[in-house]
Amino acid sequence: MSGFLDEIEQSVPGLRRYARALTRNADRADDLVQDCIERALRKRGLFQPSGPLQAWLYRILLNLYRNSLRQTRRRGDHVSIDALVIEPAIPAPQPGRIALSEMSRAIDQLPDEQREALLLVVLEGMSYEEAAHILEIPAGTLMSRLSRARTALRQLTGNAEEPRLRTVK
Amino acid sequence: MSEQSKEVTQADLLAYVDGRLPPADFDAVEAWLAANPARAAEVAHWQRQNEALHALFDPAGHEPVPARLEPAAIARGRAAGNSFRWTQVAAALVLVALGGAIGWAARDVVTPTEAASDILIDSAVTAHSLYVNENRHAVEVAAADREHLVNWLSSRVTQPINPPDLSADGFAFVGGRLLPPVEYGKTGPAAQLMYENAAGERVTVYITSALPDRAAAYEFTSRGPHEAFYWANDKITCTVVGELPDAEMQAVARKVYQQLTRRPDSSAGPMDYERGS
Repeated sequence: MSGFLDEIEQSVPGLRRYARALTRNADRADDLVQDCIERALRKRGLFQPSGPLQAWLYRILLNLYRNSLRQTRRRGDHVSIDALVIEPAIPAPQPGRIALSEMSRAIDQLPDEQREALLLVVLEGMSYEEAAHILEIPAGTLMSRLSRARTALRQLTGNAEEPRLRTVK
Repeated sequence: MSEQSKEVTQADLLAYVDGRLPPADFDAVEAWLAANPARAAEVAHWQRQNEALHALFDPAGHEPVPARLEPAAIARGRAAGNSFRWTQVAAALVLVALGGAIGWAARDVVTPTEAASDILIDSAVTAHSLYVNENRHAVEVAAADREHLVNWLSSRVTQPINPPDLSADGFAFVGGRLLPPVEYGKTGPAAQLMYENAAGERVTVYITSALPDRAAAYEFTSRGPHEAFYWANDKITCTVVGELPDAEMQAVARKVYQQLTRRPDSSAGPMDYERGS
């Protein structure tokens, strides 16, 4: 059991990061991670370690997140905490960089399925295989979601100065 | 995809940006990008997207984990029939959470997190500019003492440091030195390796053990007159610094990358992704 607990523990920082990026709310994110760990412990007897534990945990987290979204939408939307933040003067991004505040807004505007996929690959460093497994979608679907997410983010952060691709000058 | 002539797909470009491209396809994709500036600009933007996402959300993964998220504590609570649910007291904590969340959210807006890669690149460039102008003291241990140098740097950096061979690009290995850890404090000391060509131009390679997130990353950037190519995997971070023209700089950086990511075992790092190659 302690090996199992250790393995979960190692995944906690990543799960928190992913949950935070999805929810944009530290408290809600940690609630999801706590629920995720509880569910993992409860389901443990059913779990055949055929795949990596980490992927299984991300899948549980995602399901919990999606359920919470559905409930929130039924109840009527709450005001996002981000919306309450009065943004102070935003420092100009370094040339070629995307302003973080701009990216923060853009990522919120992505469809859920694209955001979930992109964050798994970019933020959590999942391979395409792992991400497709976690999202329970075929590899081709994953690639098209990533592609659409990239395109949308580029449009949404379109004010950024066109960066130079240093590798191809 | 291995032949130059074959068309580069959208999936190849995504994999290039996500560090999932088989190394064998690197050259073909970069050559294709060089010939397709519009797509190259798009790909560059994708790379900026990655940087921004990491800057926004990586800090959440480094925060101390609260006790309520410790699996062992949760398991103990379950065993004791403890039905305490955090969400039951959530309402009482809304104001506290709101304050905290605003603070957290505002932090990113007010002071964008300086990426660890930026700090490492800065250190690499600083060390480069300091030592490339030295003649007698350019390195601490010269290439003649290679075995000693390799053992010493490997043990201090805690990763095997095998100086890449850049002779095909006209660069001879001069030697290396040990440098203190950067203030960021998340890596140990750094090894600096120096190379020199017949024209006296010098290139340095700055290597540290991996950052705590062990994430794959790579970035071409400029710092004043210096060009820097940074990449990271689950073992090391590496910054190649020089003042060479872009094309030469890239050729050298690619050689360094290829040689330092070659693994004796078959465990692929995030960037030397082997599937499909």
